[in-house]
Amino acid sequence: MKAAVGLVLLFFVAVALTLVVGVRNAGIVDVWQAFFAFDASDPTHAVIRSVRAPRLIAGLIAGAGLGMAGTVMQAVTRNPLADPGLLGVNAGAAFAVVVGALVTGYADSGMMAALAFPGAAIASIAVFLVGGARSGAGSPVRLTLAGVAINALLLSLVSAIILSRNETLEIFRFWVTGSLAQANARPLEAMFIALVVGAGISAVIAPRIEALALGSTLARGLGTKPGAVQLSALAAITLMTGAAVAVAGPIAFVGLVVPPLARRIGRHVLRRELVVSAILGGSMILLADTVGRLVVAPAEIRVGIMTALVGAPAFIFVVRRLKPGALT
Amino acid sequence: MSGMGSGNVVLRGWALLAGLLAAAILVSLAVGQIMVTPAELLRGLMTGTGPGALTLRVLRGPSTLTAVGAGAALGASGTIFQILLRNPLAAPDVMGFMSGAGCAVVAGVAFGLFIPLPILAALGGLVAAALVSGLSFHRGGRQSPLTLILVGIGIGFFASAVSSFLVIRMPPQEAADAQRWLTGSLAARNWGHVLQVFGLGALLFIVLALQVRAMALLELGDELAAGLGARVERARYGLICTGVLLAAVGVAVAGPVPFVAMMAGPLGMRIAGVKHPASRLTAAAIAGATITVLADVISRSAIPGLQLPVGVMTGIMGAPYLLWLLWKEVEAGEV
Repeated sequence: MKAAVGLVLLFFVAVALTLVVGVRNAGIVDVWQAFFAFDASDPTHAVIRSVRAPRLIAGLIAGAGLGMAGTVMQAVTRNPLADPGLLGVNAGAAFAVVVGALVTGYADSGMMAALAFPGAAIASIAVFLVGGARSGAGSPVRLTLAGVAINALLLSLVSAIILSRNETLEIFRFWVTGSLAQANARPLEAMFIALVVGAGISAVIAPRIEALALGSTLARGLGTKPGAVQLSALAAITLMTGAAVAVAGPIAFVGLVVPPLARRIGRHVLRRELVVSAILGGSMILLADTVGRLVVAPAEIRVGIMTALVGAPAFIFVVRRLKPGALT
Repeated sequence: MSGMGSGNVVLRGWALLAGLLAAAILVSLAVGQIMVTPAELLRGLMTGTGPGALTLRVLRGPSTLTAVGAGAALGASGTIFQILLRNPLAAPDVMGFMSGAGCAVVAGVAFGLFIPLPILAALGGLVAAALVSGLSFHRGGRQSPLTLILVGIGIGFFASAVSSFLVIRMPPQEAADAQRWLTGSLAARNWGHVLQVFGLGALLFIVLALQVRAMALLELGDELAAGLGARVERARYGLICTGVLLAAVGVAVAGPVPFVAMMAGPLGMRIAGVKHPASRLTAAAIAGATITVLADVISRSAIPGLQLPVGVMTGIMGAPYLLWLLWKEVEAGEV
């Protein structure tokens, strides 16, 4: 109960800070008026509605998507290092969008953003095949290194394509580390729907994923088909990760940091963990983004760098807690 | 592998390795926005005039030689760690030492410190290595190679994030240059870079030559090595330092180019067909130089009118190798 209250508080603080803080500081009253008593002549209202609100929505979609995708991934692979960013699923989505824009000549429109889904799906399948996850629990080392390789390959290709098109440094950074700065140009409505569908699939299959965690023989005995569950999980991960990348670029580490916290707060019931992951993920991205906008104002640190600064130490922490036997 | 084969086979291996490097250098000098024929290059070398001379002296000579030096240093560095940890995944790029070195260089530039780049890179690399080593101890007091590699990956993530953070604080043009350098870049190298990488590299190769005997002993296992009179811990830390410094020498002139250090050792060993540490290190240095020079040519000329950073190309070349390595081990049920 205490945890739930804390969680809700954290979430509201994150949302409020996103709307209030910036080069033009606003008060809570301004935020209220911007939505409920809009005054077109007030520049603060305009900033809140046209810049910060899209940023908020994009941050929530990305954070909730990556948080839940990480939780599903970790539950299915039983690997505490699984994260859509580290395993190259984000990079797959980003790569597909950038290649789509290259081939068709359209700059990234909503249609191009939809390519994030096949990109994420193919990268997930590749990393799980190479990482050896198909044979049950793939070793954390193998899966992580497969992710490192897929990330390196796809992000190198993304860099090459973007540099060859003489795009701005800002576009380059969006597709390599992720950022909320482009939020008002991203297809937020469509990606919100994709996120909801992915979350719905996750919620439906959650009990079956838990059954699988007991061991596939036992799960079969209880009437669960491992293949079907894994395929549905893949679909859910793809939808949620794809949506996140389409609105905010490839942001790593949210899916690594959030799931263990969600396990603790959700007390090992996967459906509860999913809800907690969505809230925590959203809060994490919003807070990281707000801090990133504050520390070097008026410039800003992209949210993907902020999550990496927090996430990399968390990665080492998780590695140190792995039992030596779990590595091989 | 033909490591135990006759002297002829080994000789053929070395010849092949050297031939590949020579060919790579020739291609690197000849190919670019303007093609220069080998005859013109030769004339430029002899007479010091004509397009060949300009290419050698200014346009492609310095960057090609820097690539040779950096690649050789990185190749040898990677092999040191691969031998010490008995794992093909152990390399200064995978384990974050090069990101650490790169981070220190970017920090030095961002804060306007007047410290030479190789010293910054060496400090960054050593700090990263110390962190990786320190954070990898399990409660039992032993470090497993796999923990070292994973912690190293984590340190690499962190160092890269700090680098990106520092880049944002720079003025726009400087930031763009730094971003490029952090990918690994050989653009605009001059004879100062060549002198630096070969001078420092040669020094470290001499130090390494003095450590080779101890390395061969360590390869037999700690207990046997101690029994044969090696001071195991001292020898290991000495080799780690040499390895990190070699990587830093490469980073100082070419940025943290990914995957060269990891690929060079196995490739060199396979082509030359050798097994002894001294031969493996030499082969890795030649292979590393070849990979870097080739990656540089391809990145310069793959897209007309555009110079991609060399690191983009080594990333594209190295990642499939890493995937193949993992795939092979999945099949074999190892790692």
